[in-house]
Amino acid sequence: MFPPSTHRLPQRLLAGGLLAGASVVAGVWYYFTPQYTRVGYQPVQPVAFSHRTHVGQLGMDCRYCHPGVETSWYSNLPSGQSCMNCHNQVLRDDARLALVRASAGSGRPIPWIQIHRLPDYVFFNHAVHVNRGVSCFDCHGSIHELDESAHLKPLSMAFCLECHRRPEAFLRPPAEVYHLDWRPESPEQQQADGSKLAREWNVQRLDPCSACHR
Amino acid sequence: MKPPAPHPPRSPVATPRYWRSVEDCAGTSTDLSSIERACHHGLEEAADPLSRRHFMRIMSASFLLAGSGLTGCRRPVETIHPFAQAPEGLVHGLPLTYATAMPVRASAIPLRVKTCEGRPIKIEGNPGIPWPLNAVSGAPPPPPQGPTDAAAQASILSLYDPDRARRFTRDGQTIPRKLALDALDALAHQAADSRGRGLCILADASSSPSRARLQRALADRLPESRWFEYEPVDLAAYRRTTRAAFGRLLQPLYRLDVARRIVSWDCDFLGNEEETCRWTRAFAAGRRLDNPGNEPSRLYAIESLLTLTGMNADHRLRLAPSQMALVAARLLSECISALEPHQRPAGALAFKSRLQALARTTTPEWAAWTRACAGDLTAQPDRSAVLAGHRQPAEVHLWAHGLNHLLRGRGAAVVYLDRPPEPPAGTLAELAAALAADEVRILVILAGNPAYNAPADLEWARVQSRADTVVRLGSCEDETFPACHWHLPMAHYLESWGDARTADGTWLSIQPLIAPLFGGLTDLEVLARLAGMPVTEPHEIVRETFRGLAPDGAFEANWRRLLHDGTWAGTAYPEATVESFDWNAATAALDSIREVRAPAPDALEVVFARDSRVDDGRYANNGWLEELPDPVTKITWDNVIALSPATARLLGLAVPEPREHLEVPVVRVSAGGRAIEGPLWIQPGLADDVVGLTLGHGRTRAGRVGTGTGYDAYPLRTSRAMHSLAGAQLAATGRVHPLACTQNHGRLEGRPIVRETNLAEFRNHPGFASAMDRDAPDSSPLYANPLDAAAAGVLHQWGMTIDLGLCVGCAACVVACQSENNIPIVGKNEVARQREMHWLRIDRYYAGPADDPQGVNQPMLCQHCESAPCESVCPVNATVHDREGLNVMVYNRCIGTRHCSNNCPYKVRRFNFFDYHRRPDRGSRPREEWDLLSLVRNPDVTVRMRGVIEKCTFCVQRLEQAKIARAVSAGASPPKAVADGEVQTACQQACPAGAIEFGNLRDPASRVSRARANPRAYAVLQSLNTRPRVLYLARVRNPNPAMPGAPPRPHGMSVEVRDPEMPEQGPGTVEGGNGKEGA
Repeated sequence: MFPPSTHRLPQRLLAGGLLAGASVVAGVWYYFTPQYTRVGYQPVQPVAFSHRTHVGQLGMDCRYCHPGVETSWYSNLPSGQSCMNCHNQVLRDDARLALVRASAGSGRPIPWIQIHRLPDYVFFNHAVHVNRGVSCFDCHGSIHELDESAHLKPLSMAFCLECHRRPEAFLRPPAEVYHLDWRPESPEQQQADGSKLAREWNVQRLDPCSACHR
Repeated sequence: MKPPAPHPPRSPVATPRYWRSVEDCAGTSTDLSSIERACHHGLEEAADPLSRRHFMRIMSASFLLAGSGLTGCRRPVETIHPFAQAPEGLVHGLPLTYATAMPVRASAIPLRVKTCEGRPIKIEGNPGIPWPLNAVSGAPPPPPQGPTDAAAQASILSLYDPDRARRFTRDGQTIPRKLALDALDALAHQAADSRGRGLCILADASSSPSRARLQRALADRLPESRWFEYEPVDLAAYRRTTRAAFGRLLQPLYRLDVARRIVSWDCDFLGNEEETCRWTRAFAAGRRLDNPGNEPSRLYAIESLLTLTGMNADHRLRLAPSQMALVAARLLSECISALEPHQRPAGALAFKSRLQALARTTTPEWAAWTRACAGDLTAQPDRSAVLAGHRQPAEVHLWAHGLNHLLRGRGAAVVYLDRPPEPPAGTLAELAAALAADEVRILVILAGNPAYNAPADLEWARVQSRADTVVRLGSCEDETFPACHWHLPMAHYLESWGDARTADGTWLSIQPLIAPLFGGLTDLEVLARLAGMPVTEPHEIVRETFRGLAPDGAFEANWRRLLHDGTWAGTAYPEATVESFDWNAATAALDSIREVRAPAPDALEVVFARDSRVDDGRYANNGWLEELPDPVTKITWDNVIALSPATARLLGLAVPEPREHLEVPVVRVSAGGRAIEGPLWIQPGLADDVVGLTLGHGRTRAGRVGTGTGYDAYPLRTSRAMHSLAGAQLAATGRVHPLACTQNHGRLEGRPIVRETNLAEFRNHPGFASAMDRDAPDSSPLYANPLDAAAAGVLHQWGMTIDLGLCVGCAACVVACQSENNIPIVGKNEVARQREMHWLRIDRYYAGPADDPQGVNQPMLCQHCESAPCESVCPVNATVHDREGLNVMVYNRCIGTRHCSNNCPYKVRRFNFFDYHRRPDRGSRPREEWDLLSLVRNPDVTVRMRGVIEKCTFCVQRLEQAKIARAVSAGASPPKAVADGEVQTACQQACPAGAIEFGNLRDPASRVSRARANPRAYAVLQSLNTRPRVLYLARVRNPNPAMPGAPPRPHGMSVEVRDPEMPEQGPGTVEGGNGKEGA
């Protein structure tokens, strides 16, 4: 009744269906995660501020512009006035800084475009991380090498849990928290030093839901 | 697998003795079905125009459109706007706290308000206010929180109310602010030309020294202007009557913390008097029972309505208002008889013989009651206090002062402060007469709402129109608004500069936490402009007033100190020495009881009470307060006409069987040619032949929240009968009205949920409460609780205790929780479907006869069970335990199966049936109003969406912040545990009584650990082996053994012990049977 070509149809349908299902799963797995949706987001900011120049070349400390990071959950952006502390001497008439000068003069804020974004329902606190040996680098990557800031790490729940489950793999000496170039000598060395710090500071594995979700 | 624990069988001999409604008491309750309703009928279509199905249809279409364009995949671009010039000292993300005060009538509540990014979000009491009452030696230390009440907690919502007066108007038309201010100045010039002739000012009561100063300045500059004050519910009678009693104005201070015997003559000092939250604190301090050796105070209450004070009383006498004077005089006379001869002044004896000569007899019950009470009072004369309530006539206040004077002694429980005389002010009736005589050209109304709440006989709406120009400063475009020519928006107190004094005189500063959202003015600015003062800036006015207080050189430093502390030390009125009481006046006042006639079913007595939530109507547009169940009736979004069960029977009125929705008959109350209609409520404990009416509802122009809730009782109220009214008739109208009452919601099946005993029993059996755990499971769990292992090595284990002996049921905690945790308002229809969202509710139980029951309040919240039934049934692990003993709720995992809610024995989990925080489908509000409303939300707490369960989190955001603060300060060293008292839950912080203790159970010295060691501690539903982290301390009543008919045990506990296995001990047999018997 059916032509011979249909004899293998059930197997083919089955295989095709499995393949399609697997690709949907794989697609969602990859494309619907912050790893794909967030990492690499690099909008053009209203002012061409370069972390590479300021931090990488001039060696400014993160906390000069983001002083709130040590005390608050929020790491603030600098006010126009902070920029003008230097730029009323340096590049005072540079066209790229017109907006900054206008802002500091008029009091109208610069509309920076938000880059870093956490998943919903998460309450993140900068202060407790940087005061307890977690570096800016761990979440923001080598942002000091970029001219235009970008979202470099996924900041997904899985990403957070990598450290929350195994803090010793990331802890660094307090003096190195704001040194984005600092690297452990070797993974083994990090493991040993990190375990020691975690023990001394009583840094525990922190993975109950209430640590981040309220 | 372990078989499920057998349900404790209910034994026929030991029936539960607590009941929650009249039907419940009579055995006609359909409570079980109401629980089933809560569990199963939740899926019914909401009565919205947009049904679920319709919603799905529209949404699927829009998803299709959205999908084809893939617009949803675009990343929304958000911008960050940092300060261009950052204010000094401001760190973005760190909340700031400012001291201020909420002015209420002639008093104020000292507050500390938290702001986040410039918007106030949470109100707390100011603990730094010195209080003369706390300075008593030997009194237990006060709890570390400042007291607040529900209205203060909810006032933050009124700040962001989109229905506030938001514009300046002239004849109802919006005009620019400048034009209105110019017009005000022009009026001031006009008034100055005529030395103020024809200028009348109608103000509400205030304690502001600056306002008093401006009032005097106005009188100086415009000597012919006239000043009137009106408060629909005037609470200052207890103070004003000291003039008749002692010849000068004094401020009585009742030290309820040292008083061992307290008598309330219709004085609801726990619910509805001036500075209720401070009285509650003092009262609770005197009721502390940390061990059986303590001597708690004893409270006698004589009252017409059932109030919180009555529910907390050890003895309660129900009386119609007209009979109150009779019994009060009788009690005074009995006290005079009971004192030693040398303690009786001659005038007192004259009083006694005059009372005898009047030959007004009381019933034998009242006579025996007053005799026993008088014997008890005179046994410890200097430790007794008598309080008369604001509804009582002057003579009853006079006798209360006399009785306190009679009982005075060293370290007396009643002291008097010298209060400076208040600036002169006329009454509303005088103003109405002036208006009717066309003597008023310019009428300035500051803050009041006379068109709504003036006595009906003044016909205010008619007389107000006789004024040429009416200027009004109002917080809302309300009932008075249409008849005003100029209307100025009034700034909320959180937007204002000002000052206030508490009743004892302590100076409080009021500072703005946010610039006026709608450009509102304060009464200070309006007065200063009217008086033509050179300085009209409220900030400068308040500074100028303060300059008189702290005149020495360092003014700026003093000023900053005042703003920082919120108060100025040493400003309380000085203590007065009171030598003589005017017994002649007291005796002369006896004539008033000559003609007292008792009420009858055909001549009922009406009592006007201010509403416990919306007050006299001023908070009617506050959704938190409207949805807060009344502490006694548990009715939301309505007020009722209350009748006692016996009177309702006599009048042939009965509440119909509860159906799907509670519907009650609408009745008509008429007296003196006036009538009102409202829903009938049969209220246990009400005096017979008395009708209880509540003011403050039935607003016609309150705003979108408060308009049309309840009925308006003001039309029955006349200037001769402001508080009670005799000779009223009541008749059914044949109509019914649906009510939303939470009284039967979440019923707990009559197991020993609340436990109480009498003091003598408690001393014999201190462990009576835990002895009631008769149905404790007899086998230990098969598996070890994973929490036990996880908790090792953790610094904190959180726990809570609630002292039922201290909790008065005021519900400040409920609103505090709502404010802290972004709990939505659901509306009357949803509450009627048992969908109220409160994480913390106060269960109110009655016990004993329906005519005169005892009451118990029990706050009920998530018990944070160590072995939580909710966790094991969640299919998606959305509710789990953390290592510190919290039962946490993960909203983004929750898929809304509600299994957890079904399996929760305490019924404390609430489900978001709708997107209550933003209901665009209603279309009732423009977007900017939603944005305004969202300003009140706490940024540290998730705003939940439709379809998820939520419940008490023990304020996990506060715990995490405290732990983070510890870790941050530890830096490169091990963090220390959060110290006791460093973190408080919102309910604990708001509780005026200090009934809630919360803290770290790992610390044996913490307040909560010590409270858990109290012999009264017990866990609710121990039998289920849930191991709650919330323990309750059983209530201990302190009745007078000499009182005739005093039950040896509380009514709810007086079940006979018939179980032979149970030793004859304690009252612990409310629940019969245990798991073993059932197995």
